[in-house]
Amino acid sequence: MRRIPVCLSLTLLLSGCVSPAWDDHDYALKAAASAEAAASGVEMARLAVRDGDRLMSPYVKTLLTEVSEDLSGIAGQFGGVQPPSRASDEVREELLELLSQAEDDVDGLLIELRRAGIARPAQAAARLEEIAGRLRATGERLR
Amino acid sequence: MKKVFAVTLGVLTAFGGFVDIGDLVANALVGSRFGMSLAWVVVVGVVGICLFAEMSGRIAAVSGRPVFDLVRERLGPRTGLVNLVASFFINVLTLAAEIGGAALALELATGVNYLLWVPGVALVAWLVMWRVKFTTMERVFGLAGLALIVFAVALWQLGPDWAELGRQLTNPPPDEGAPTYWYYAIALLGGAMTPYEVFFFSSGGVEEHWSRRDLAVERANVLVGFPLGGFLSLAIAGCAATVFLPVQAQVDTLSQMLLPAGLGAGQIGLVLVIFGVFAATFGATLETALSSGYTISQYFGWQWGKFVRPRQAARFHAVVLAGVIVATALILTTIDPIKVTEYSLVFSAAALPLTYLPVLMIANDPDYMGQKVNGRFSNALGTVYMVLLVVVAAAAIPLMIATKAGQ
Repeated sequence: MRRIPVCLSLTLLLSGCVSPAWDDHDYALKAAASAEAAASGVEMARLAVRDGDRLMSPYVKTLLTEVSEDLSGIAGQFGGVQPPSRASDEVREELLELLSQAEDDVDGLLIELRRAGIARPAQAAARLEEIAGRLRATGERLR
Repeated sequence: MKKVFAVTLGVLTAFGGFVDIGDLVANALVGSRFGMSLAWVVVVGVVGICLFAEMSGRIAAVSGRPVFDLVRERLGPRTGLVNLVASFFINVLTLAAEIGGAALALELATGVNYLLWVPGVALVAWLVMWRVKFTTMERVFGLAGLALIVFAVALWQLGPDWAELGRQLTNPPPDEGAPTYWYYAIALLGGAMTPYEVFFFSSGGVEEHWSRRDLAVERANVLVGFPLGGFLSLAIAGCAATVFLPVQAQVDTLSQMLLPAGLGAGQIGLVLVIFGVFAATFGATLETALSSGYTISQYFGWQWGKFVRPRQAARFHAVVLAGVIVATALILTTIDPIKVTEYSLVFSAAALPLTYLPVLMIANDPDYMGQKVNGRFSNALGTVYMVLLVVVAAAAIPLMIATKAGQ
């Protein structure tokens, strides 16, 4: 009977860990899911930045902060999955690079917003659109 | 004229008070992922809540006692206890989600992190429950919740392709699997028919001293106010379907859920919608906290309610306070309030038969209802809903596990 709480604790502890990738296909699926989740967040940021002049500054700040935290979380979680082969190493590098670009861009916009507002919202939105497109394409390719 | 005013005010209060954090989250999530393909669930949910809220209001008006007061008497202490435990657990979970929702709305308005707002929201909510009259409390937050009409205005302003939205009604996105579709259908139904609504509605009837003469007003509130609230839910889903579905963006946070209102109705629209979300979630905080006190006090036969002085209903107020403290502590663990909402919706769905079966049974019992028992139509529809709710309850948790909570 005493083993039940121990097993339960162990199960809960392990369920909190990142699940491993069993093979290249599994790793690619995890990468695709991460890319799609990141693309979704970047699209949110794009919509808010594009029409930022019609929205309140604290609201846009909160939204961009959440997107930045999400992107950081996705990169951290995906980065924690060990690639099972050299082929998967390439997938890992490509996606982490894209995620890093997305995070840097959103963080940059947050800094601009906290100072004097986003200087060129149309250009910033176009850049985010491009990154979101690349993330989506990566996700579709890996599925 | 006075009666028309009372009916209008009641309808507007029911309309503005219909949407809470669960409706908001479920409709925005579903709209962004499934377009309007789950709109039918909102219709099913609104018909269901109208049906059972009318019954519970009638029970309160005719017997002078709320539903939970009769559950133990009619079903026995053991079954009543199962009902009580499930209802209280879901109530506290929903209460945590509502407090988190109100704090998130304040964060959006001020830029100050929501966790700093949580204790303040809880304290003010408790003070309102302690000091403010029931009717004033209900009307102020119900009417303030009307600001959420901005979603309908924003949808219009966004200029959606109405034909496309119409096409989505019968065509779910092909890349979403059937289990995920049904999981969200269940969450949406859980949002529309949240159990606390019935406990609060019937206890509120007793708080406001409803009698048989108030039945017409009670029916108007339910049969007009709730469907209008359902219309708001559809507007929220429509906004999300218009803005997010074409770019495959899925909403995860409250700020994202409100983005279409800002894009469609501009800064004033965004201010109004944030105000509306605060009013709706704060109002629901009061309702869920009071419902916790109502259910426990009514089960154990304690004096309850705001119609007596707090000193006379000390145990009722102690339970309400304990519920608020537990829910606040849960949100202060930094658990995501939106995730809490999603789980509370599914657990609500799993407990739906426990809530609504006693309502159906008591509304049919001539010992309590005299000649005001259910008619054939209400019974037939009630029976169909009970079958549906049992199926939903059986499927809710397995689907949650199978889809990893809708991922």
